[in-house]
Amino acid sequence: MASVDQEEGDAGREAGTDSQDRYDGAGSSSSSGSAKTAADGNRAGVGGMINPGRYGIERVAYWLMRLSGLGLLAYFIGHIYETSSILQGKMGWDEFLAITQTTEGHILLAIVIGMCVFHTVNGIRVMLGHGGVGVGRAARPDYPYIPASQNYRHKLGIYTAIVLAAIAMMYGLAVMFGV
Amino acid sequence: MATAILRESTIMKIHYGTALAAVALVAVHVLMRLTSGGFAASLEYETVLANYRFLPYALMLEIILVLLSIHGFNGLRVILLELRQGPRYEKAVSYGCLAAMFALIAYGSRTIIMTNMGMV
Repeated sequence: MASVDQEEGDAGREAGTDSQDRYDGAGSSSSSGSAKTAADGNRAGVGGMINPGRYGIERVAYWLMRLSGLGLLAYFIGHIYETSSILQGKMGWDEFLAITQTTEGHILLAIVIGMCVFHTVNGIRVMLGHGGVGVGRAARPDYPYIPASQNYRHKLGIYTAIVLAAIAMMYGLAVMFGV
Repeated sequence: MATAILRESTIMKIHYGTALAAVALVAVHVLMRLTSGGFAASLEYETVLANYRFLPYALMLEIILVLLSIHGFNGLRVILLELRQGPRYEKAVSYGCLAAMFALIAYGSRTIIMTNMGMV
């Protein structure tokens, strides 16, 4: 459980405490433009949280998970508002539907499909990891202190989520454009 | 504050539970769009109205609404708490997300109930 926290729930703490820098050695924090030094109070802020440069695909998954989550929440709120137009009768429904049934609307919906699939698959990976699945055996932390959870199984899970999201987006576009 | 009532570990279990349940129900919701005579036909006014008036489907929509609202606004709360911490800030974020969640559920439920009861 702790090892997964190092992987998925990592960036919030890394942004706040810069704990990774202690492991990376002196001077490594200066390699990132957004990361600040210990003298700055170890607070890299939002820039440190979203910086994917130094932490590999796990950090990319971390911010993709949050971005897709925020995007899906925005879509969900919009969808609830959109469907409420049915209360205005057929005219109201058709008018609102016409706004969404455009090329831009279809592309936006394809992005939503991609976000939804990535968020789902990566979310299941995170849940499994929190349950101890695929994180490896507990072991003594030795240099270079690579978290056990950052292994090929979870990396494969992240890449699978990205590939499935891309496939779902293409399928969605094919359905919407009637290809 | 929500965290004073529920432990953070309990909230995360709810977060994961709502996610798994929503995945299953949203899959049914999406399949309904694809199997009701095609995507475009499934969005026609009469088809959508018939869907809302079919009680089991309306109940499923209500459950999806509740599940996704809980999951979505708790996710937003978690992201906002990662960005900044502090007693007043955390309280404001937790209560704000809770209020927004109830507002969205109320607004969505209004559509489902009014349409299902033939008030359109």
